[in-house]
Amino acid sequence: MPALVNYGGEDQFFGGGSLCTSSIDLDRLYSMGSSMDIYCPPHKRARVCGPYAVSSYEYEGEHLSSIEELPDECLFEIFRRLPSGRERSSCACVSKHWLFLLSSMRRTEISGEVDNSAKEDKEMKTSPSGDVEMVSCDASGGLEGDGYLTRCLEGKKATDVRLAAVAVGTNGRGGLGKLSIRGTRSTRGVTNIGISAIARGCPSLRTLSLWNPSSIGDDGLVEIAKECCLLEKLDLSHCPFVSNKGLIAIAENCRDLISLNIESCPKIGNEGLEAIGRCCPRLQSISIKDCPLVGDHGVASLVSSASSVLSKIKLQGLNITDFSLAVIGHFGLAVTSLVLGGLRNASEKGFWVMGNAQGLKKVSTLTVASCHGITDVSLGAIGKGCTNLKQMCLRKCHFVSDSGLITFARAASSLENLQVEELDRISLGGVIGVISNREMKLKSLSIAKCMGIKDLLQGSLMLSSCTSLRSLSIQNCPGFGSASLAMVGKLCPHLEHIDLTGLCGITDAGLSPLLENSEAGLVKVNLSNCLNITDEAVSTLVRLHGGTLELLNLDGCRKVTDASLVAITDNCLLLNDLDMSKCSITDSGVSVLSSAGHLNLQVLSLAGCSMVSSKSVPFLKKLAGSLIGLNLQHCRSISSSMVELLAESLWRCDILS
Amino acid sequence: MSSSSSSSSPSCPKKMITLKSSDGETFEIEEIAALQSKTLESMIDENCASTPVPLPNITGKILAKVVEYCTKHAEVGADAESLRAWDAEFVSVDHPTLFDYILAANFLEIPTLLNLACQSVADMVKGKTPDEIHKIFNIKSTFTPEEEEELRRENQWAFD
Repeated sequence: MPALVNYGGEDQFFGGGSLCTSSIDLDRLYSMGSSMDIYCPPHKRARVCGPYAVSSYEYEGEHLSSIEELPDECLFEIFRRLPSGRERSSCACVSKHWLFLLSSMRRTEISGEVDNSAKEDKEMKTSPSGDVEMVSCDASGGLEGDGYLTRCLEGKKATDVRLAAVAVGTNGRGGLGKLSIRGTRSTRGVTNIGISAIARGCPSLRTLSLWNPSSIGDDGLVEIAKECCLLEKLDLSHCPFVSNKGLIAIAENCRDLISLNIESCPKIGNEGLEAIGRCCPRLQSISIKDCPLVGDHGVASLVSSASSVLSKIKLQGLNITDFSLAVIGHFGLAVTSLVLGGLRNASEKGFWVMGNAQGLKKVSTLTVASCHGITDVSLGAIGKGCTNLKQMCLRKCHFVSDSGLITFARAASSLENLQVEELDRISLGGVIGVISNREMKLKSLSIAKCMGIKDLLQGSLMLSSCTSLRSLSIQNCPGFGSASLAMVGKLCPHLEHIDLTGLCGITDAGLSPLLENSEAGLVKVNLSNCLNITDEAVSTLVRLHGGTLELLNLDGCRKVTDASLVAITDNCLLLNDLDMSKCSITDSGVSVLSSAGHLNLQVLSLAGCSMVSSKSVPFLKKLAGSLIGLNLQHCRSISSSMVELLAESLWRCDILS
Repeated sequence: MSSSSSSSSPSCPKKMITLKSSDGETFEIEEIAALQSKTLESMIDENCASTPVPLPNITGKILAKVVEYCTKHAEVGADAESLRAWDAEFVSVDHPTLFDYILAANFLEIPTLLNLACQSVADMVKGKTPDEIHKIFNIKSTFTPEEEEELRRENQWAFD
């Protein structure tokens, strides 16, 4: 090695230069090297001798340089000058080193890009690949005219290599607009390197969704924030390494953010949300679930900053208190949809203030679940305050009683759809009270799993019919029996849909007042698992409503026999969906059904009908004209070879067996 | 081996600097030509170029060509057409030499030579499939079969 030569009397190290523009972040090249087996030579070549060994450049025999020995900065200069996206894709497939180097190049670092892509447009349209949507991309429109492609990486296929391939491959061929990564914890999966590749290669990214990414953290998100300024929707679910730092970076750089969804991210807290509120004026939808560090400060600052456009708020499983609810009540002027669930630290006062603050005038959909702060008093305040409320869903709020529900239903004058589930204090009186309201606009009422409802009516009530109710669904309330049904039936003359799933207590006698009282004509009737319904009820039903009935579900009604099928065939004109699973029907019933030429049956289920045998196959073939779905699961008497024969005739039909 | 201010024609004394390759050969280059190298330029500015400049990374064979390049490009009155042709001729060499040009141009910071050599390599890749690129440059692929599959799917047009 030559000795150090002093120049001009001064001891100075004179480093040889690197000609590459300073925009290369050499750090990123270093960071790549640590985790994969790529050749990473020293980048800066000091011209001073020392114990360093750059042995490839010593003259030892005939040493021939290979392209593998070029430092990354030189490869970068070569890649910059590649003629088109196709060559970049080719080079990306050569080796991992080249792939990751190419994917780390920003679009602005590629020279001659804009001139070439116009020619590329014409090549693109004839490309045959199946899962890429080839729409002509307006190269001159810059980033706005880009971002047509969508990629979804799941499970084991969510790897850094795939992301780098996507970053290189989608460039200039429409651009990546939407990316979803559904990782699994067990595999190594996607890391910050892959995400950085996407960030650099796909600046037109608009939607990013990360579920369970095994090791994506703040660094990756910061890269996305720096490069993808057009990001509109961000969805982070189960990201244990993402903290406020990442979210703040997104907030400060992606000013067009419209929708943010965060679930189970234990390190995201108030500072991140506060930044979002401060920096993203276009935010329309926010959903935060199960993030223990999120509290009043974050939620309140977010809601109060974005009050002019924020229309959807979902807060579930958070440690927020009455204060946040008060802020929502005052500042939620643009909110149309509100979901509040599992708010353990919010009390009755918070919900009461929220209702009384008169700020939630535009809310049309409200869902409250598992909040012990919902009591009769607070529910009443909400009913009064949300004057535009059309759809209300109450789940597992155990302190709501009959009077609270009735008061609410009366106060919420715009209410059209009410769903209650697992409100254990509600009794029949509550149900009747809600329905029995002449001025109501309620069109749909759904009551599920309310164990407190029994066939007892306490006290006397002023009963008046509800002319607006079109759909009534009472599911799995074991105490709701025939007497209750009879009473309800008398009050609702205009029902079109009824769903009485799981009401094993009702009998034919309980159903008939409802059937008889219905003036409009029932369209959809679901009596699944109503074990005590017999042919008599079915006959009454089809006799009175055969002209309008389109869907009939008798799944699990064991007492129903062929006689019902006869009645159906005789009376129904419009029936297109029939479910007779587990009924006691036989081949003769099927033959009667199939002989009904006027019926346009589209979906038929005979699952679990063990008395229906292969003899029914020719009858079923007759239904080939209209049938598109047939369920023959657990029909033990029909052999699988017969099912195959059937499948050949009913080739348009989807058969389950 | 001696330093600058050579004895040249009486009309205009050309200032020369001496470069020394890794294998001990020395080459003289006009200062004007040497200015194309940013590295040499800064050395000249700081008066460090009065003694031979050692370039331990560049062999004599390559250094000779680099000097030739810089000298040619420092000529006045050369028309663009013939210069382009000369350049094309200059890079019609085997791959190892071309890579050596790139390394030398990178080290000495000669933008024109770097651009020329890199563009030449980039042009070699035009229209080639990845397998062809492997062969041309004698590179081994480091992908697993699954990764190959993923790459192929995203970059299908490269394989057509």
